Amino acid sequence: MMQPPIILLKEGTDTSQGTPQIISNVNACQAIADAVRTTLGPRGMDKLIVETGGKATISNDGATILKTLDIVHPAAKTLVDIAKSQDAEVGDGTTSVVLLAGEFLKEAKPYIEEHVHPQIIIRAFRKAGCLMVQKIKEISVKIKKDDPNELRVLLENCAATSLSSKLVAAQKDFFSKMVVDAVMILDELLPLNMIGIKKVQGGALEDSMLVDGVAFKKTFSYAGFEMQSKKYSNPKIALLNIELELKAEKENAEVRVNTVQEYQSIVDAEWTILYDKLDTLYKSGAKVVLSKLPIGDVATQYFADRDMFCAGRVPDEDLRRTMKACGGSIQTTVQGLSAGSLGTADLFEEVQVGGERYNVFKGCPQAKTCTIILRGGAEQFMEETERSLHDAIMIVRRAMKNDAVVAGGGAIEMELSRYLRDLSQTIAGKEQLLITALGKALEVIPRQLCDNAGFDATNILNKLRQKHAEGGTWFGVNIMTEDICDNFQAFVWEPSVVKINAITAAIESTCLILSVDETIRNPRAEGGGGPPGAGRGRGRGRPM
Amino acid sequence: MAGTGSIAFDEYGRPFIIVRDQENKTRLTGIEAHKSHILAAKSIANVLKTSLGPKGLDKMLVGPDGDLTITNDGATILSQMDVEHQIAKLMVQLSRSQDDEIGDGTTGVVVLAGALLEQAEQLLDRGIHPIRIADGYEIAAKVAVETLDKISERFEVDLKKPEPLIRLAMTTLGSKIINRCHRQMAEIAVNAILAVADLDRKDVDFELIKVEGKVGGKLEDTMLVKGVVIDKDMSHPQMPKVVKDAKMAILTCPFEPPKPKTKHKLDVTSVEDYHKLREYEISKFESMVQSVKDKGANLVICQWGFDDEANHLLLQKQLPAVRWVGGPEIELIAIATGGRIVPRFEELTPEKLGHAGIVRELTFGTTKERMLVIEECKNSRAVTIFIRGGNKMIVEEAKRSLHDALCVIRNLVRDDRVVFGGGAPEIACSLAVASAADEISTLEQYAVRSFSEALESIPLALAENSGHAPIHTLAEVKSRHVKEKNPRLGIDCLHRGSNDMKEQHVIETLMAKKQQLLLATQLVRMILKIDDVRVPSDGF
Repeated sequence: MMQPPIILLKEGTDTSQGTPQIISNVNACQAIADAVRTTLGPRGMDKLIVETGGKATISNDGATILKTLDIVHPAAKTLVDIAKSQDAEVGDGTTSVVLLAGEFLKEAKPYIEEHVHPQIIIRAFRKAGCLMVQKIKEISVKIKKDDPNELRVLLENCAATSLSSKLVAAQKDFFSKMVVDAVMILDELLPLNMIGIKKVQGGALEDSMLVDGVAFKKTFSYAGFEMQSKKYSNPKIALLNIELELKAEKENAEVRVNTVQEYQSIVDAEWTILYDKLDTLYKSGAKVVLSKLPIGDVATQYFADRDMFCAGRVPDEDLRRTMKACGGSIQTTVQGLSAGSLGTADLFEEVQVGGERYNVFKGCPQAKTCTIILRGGAEQFMEETERSLHDAIMIVRRAMKNDAVVAGGGAIEMELSRYLRDLSQTIAGKEQLLITALGKALEVIPRQLCDNAGFDATNILNKLRQKHAEGGTWFGVNIMTEDICDNFQAFVWEPSVVKINAITAAIESTCLILSVDETIRNPRAEGGGGPPGAGRGRGRGRPM
Repeated sequence: MAGTGSIAFDEYGRPFIIVRDQENKTRLTGIEAHKSHILAAKSIANVLKTSLGPKGLDKMLVGPDGDLTITNDGATILSQMDVEHQIAKLMVQLSRSQDDEIGDGTTGVVVLAGALLEQAEQLLDRGIHPIRIADGYEIAAKVAVETLDKISERFEVDLKKPEPLIRLAMTTLGSKIINRCHRQMAEIAVNAILAVADLDRKDVDFELIKVEGKVGGKLEDTMLVKGVVIDKDMSHPQMPKVVKDAKMAILTCPFEPPKPKTKHKLDVTSVEDYHKLREYEISKFESMVQSVKDKGANLVICQWGFDDEANHLLLQKQLPAVRWVGGPEIELIAIATGGRIVPRFEELTPEKLGHAGIVRELTFGTTKERMLVIEECKNSRAVTIFIRGGNKMIVEEAKRSLHDALCVIRNLVRDDRVVFGGGAPEIACSLAVASAADEISTLEQYAVRSFSEALESIPLALAENSGHAPIHTLAEVKSRHVKEKNPRLGIDCLHRGSNDMKEQHVIETLMAKKQQLLLATQLVRMILKIDDVRVPSDGF
C-alpha cells in the first residue's frame, strides 16, 4: 500500500526540530560571539566592515558591529538584540554581553547532547542568574556622593575604563575628563540629548573641545551675511520656525490683476508683509535670529543693516537644544513676539574650527547643556570616537545615578565564578553540574582579555582562581604587566549596573534560545539564495 | 584567506546561514588583514614619495572626462586618484584633514604614515601585538612633539618687515611648479595675508582673499589686487571702461518691474490696456534708473540680470552697470567698498553706496575676455590674487600652490613658533626618540625605536628626490646633529653647500609639523587596530 505523503506546509518551507535544532541554534550563536570576540578589552581589535554601498565602518563596539553585519539567522538575531538592548540600557559592555551569552550556550551544549531536558537547564540558569545579581549587589562598593572630589574620581575612573578598550585609549585621560565635565554640566535628569557631539575633520584628537553651551555649524547664508557682526554679549535670541523670505503667502493662490496700477500694490503688499515680520523682530530687541526654515537674502541684508545676526536652516535638533539652553520658545509667527519668548545667553560668537565655522552660544541661563566638538584625521576615525564617547557618557550617567561600582578587567566575573562553584557544592541534583558549568562560562571574559592581549590565558586564570579562592575579591587581569592585580586599587572601575544588566540579558537570551526546538521558516518570496554550497570549511577562524 | 564569513555546519551536517549574502562577502582576519592594510598604505605612500621636497616631481592625473591635473600637492593627488581600497581611502582622508587644518605638508604626513606602517610590519613579523606597537608609537609621538617644542624658535611677525615672511613663503613654494617666479609669488602671498590679517585676534579670514585665475599671459603677470576682481564686464559694450571715484549701488534685485511672488494673472483685453502696460513698464524702468542716479551712484553692480531695454536705458542715462554678479562676489565688493547690499530700489540711500577709487575693465591680449577690477577701495581688507599662466594646468597648480603658501603664513600669524625644514626636525626628533627608546623597559621599546626609524624616511626621501645618495647624506647629517648639537641641520636639497637650514631660510611652522606627527600616529593606530575586514567580494 502506498500512502500518499501528507503535505502540511508549503513546499520549500524550512522546518527543523528537536535536539538538532537546538544544537544548530547554539552553533549559530557561537559564530556570532566569535565575530565580536576579538574586540574585547584594551587590547581588543577593531573590525572594518564595508557595506554593499561602499560605506566603511570601523568599530570596536559590539552593538555597532552586529548591527552592520546584517544577520539573518533567527536565533543569532537574538544575540544582536541583546547587544542592542545593552546599548540602549547601559550604553557599554555590548561585547561582553554577547560573549557571555555565547559562552553560556556553549557550556549548555554538552548537556543538551546528553539529553538533559532544556527546561531543567533553563531553570538552573535562571536561578544562578538571580544569585549572581544578588552577589554583585552585595559586593559592589558604594561611593559617597556627598564628596564632590570623590565622586569625580569615581566618574573619571569609570569613563577611563570604558574608553580604554577604544581607539582613543591613548587619549583616555583627556577624554574621560571631558566626558565627566560634560555630564557634570547637565542637570539632575542628565538628559542625553543635551550633550551635542559635532565632528569637524582635521586637527588632532587633542584639539577636541568641550563647549559649555550650544554650538552648531554655520548654516547656508546669503549675501550680506558677512556684514553682520559675529559676536554679541548678552544677546536676546529669537527662535523661529518661519521662512523669512519674499514669497507667496499662500500656495496655490492666484491674484487676478485688472489694471496695471494694481500690479504695483500687490508687489508692495508682499514686501510689506515681509518687512512687517522683520520689523517686529527688530523691535522685539532680538540680536540673534535663528530659524529652522530659510532666511532669505532680503532678510539677511535687513538684519545686517540693523546690527543683528541671523542663521536660517538651523537643524531641528540644534534649535531645540538652543531653546532648552537659552530659554525662550520656538515661534511659528512673529505676531505678539514678547520679550518672554526670547532666549538669552552670555555670549554669542562665531568661531573658526578647522575648516568650518561654528556658531557658539556660551553661558546659557536655563537648562544645562554642552557640546563636544570632535577633531580627528579621518571620518571613520571621528565616527568611532563619537561612539566611544557615547559609551563613556552613558557609563558616567549610569554611575551618577547608581553610585555602586565593581572592578573590571575580569575581576567581577572571576569572583562570581568562584561564588557559583562554591555554591554548586551545596546543591543536590543536576543543577549542581549546570551551575558549575555556568561558573566556568563566566571565565570567558578574563580569558578573552588575555587571549586578545596575547597572554597565556591558562596561566593567568590559574593565578586568578587561586587569588579569588583566598578571598582576593577584586583581582583581575592586568593588561599592562601581563599579570594579575587588584583592579579596584588600579582604578579599573565599572558601574555595577552594567554588569547586572549584562548578566541578566545574557541569561535571558540563553534561556530563550534553549527553549526553542523548532523553526519554521517560510520560503523566501523572491526565491533564490538557497543554502550555500557544501565544501567550505568551518569558517569560524580564531584570529591569528 | 582565513575563511568565508560565518558559515558553519552543525553536528548533523546542515549548513546554516547567519549573515545575509555571506557567500558574497570576503573576509580577512588576523595577520593577513594587517598585511593587506599595510601593503595598501605603503603603495599610497610610495606614489607620493617622489613628490616630496623642492626637487620633488609632479604627477599628471587624467580625470574620467579627460581633464588634466598636474600637481605635486599630496592632498590633490590623492583626492584625484579615486582610490578603492578602504585603507587607502583612510590615507586620502588623512591628507585631506592635514589640508583642511594646516594647508601644507599633505605629502609629508602620508609619507610618514606609510613609513610607520612599514616599520610596524616588521614588528608584526616578530610577533609583537599590534596594539602594543600602536602604544609604542603614541609614546614616541609624545617624545617627538616635546622635542619639536624644544627646538622651535619664535618668529617675529611684523607688518613692517615682511622680509622673513617672504622667505618662509618661498620655502613652501620651493617645491611647486611655480618656483620660476618664486620670489614674486611669495611676496604676493605675504602681502595678501598682511592686508587681511587681524593681528589682535591672531586670525586670518580666508574668505577675504580671493584667488582668481585666467589662462593667458605669463606667470610673471600674476598680481595682487587690493580690491576685488570679478570675471564680468560692463553690460553694454559702449559703456565707459574706466570709472574713477566710483560710487556703487550694490543691488540684489533685477532691473525690471517687480513681480509679485504670488501667482498672478493680468488679462490684457484691449489695445489701450496693452499700451498702458507698456507705459507702466517704461516708467518703472525710468524711475528705477533715475532713483539710482539721484542717489549719486555712478556704477551699478547687480546680482541679477536686466534685459536689453533696461541696458539701453542705462547707457542713455550714462550709468554703467555690471550684471549677473555672483553672491559671494557681491559680498566681497560690499565689504571692500564699504557699501551695503540693497534688496530693492526703495531702500537705496546715498549712505548705502560703496566707494572705490577706480573701477576698470581689463582686456587680455587678443581674446575678447574681460574682467573688472575694483581698486583703491575704502576698506582694503578684501584682496584678490590674480593669476596668469600659459595654460589651465599651470594656473590651477599656481592656485593650489599659493593656497599652500597662504596657509603657511596664516599659521604663522596664529602661532609664531617655527622649526626649520629640510628634514631637520625629523632628524632631531628621530634622535630624541631613539634615545628615549632605550629607557623603556617593556615591549614598546621596539615600537619606539621603529618610530624613530620611520621619521628618517622624510629626510631620506628628500635626499633621494634631490639627487643625493640618501643613506650616506642622512648618516652624515645625523652624526653632525649629535656632534654639533645643532637641530637646524637638514638635507641640502638645493645644493647650496650648507646644511644649516637657518642659513638657507628653510622654515616650517611648528603647528604643521606637530600636526603631521599626531595625525599620522593616530591613523596608524587606527589601521593597526583592525584585524577583521568584511567587504562585498566585488569591492576589490
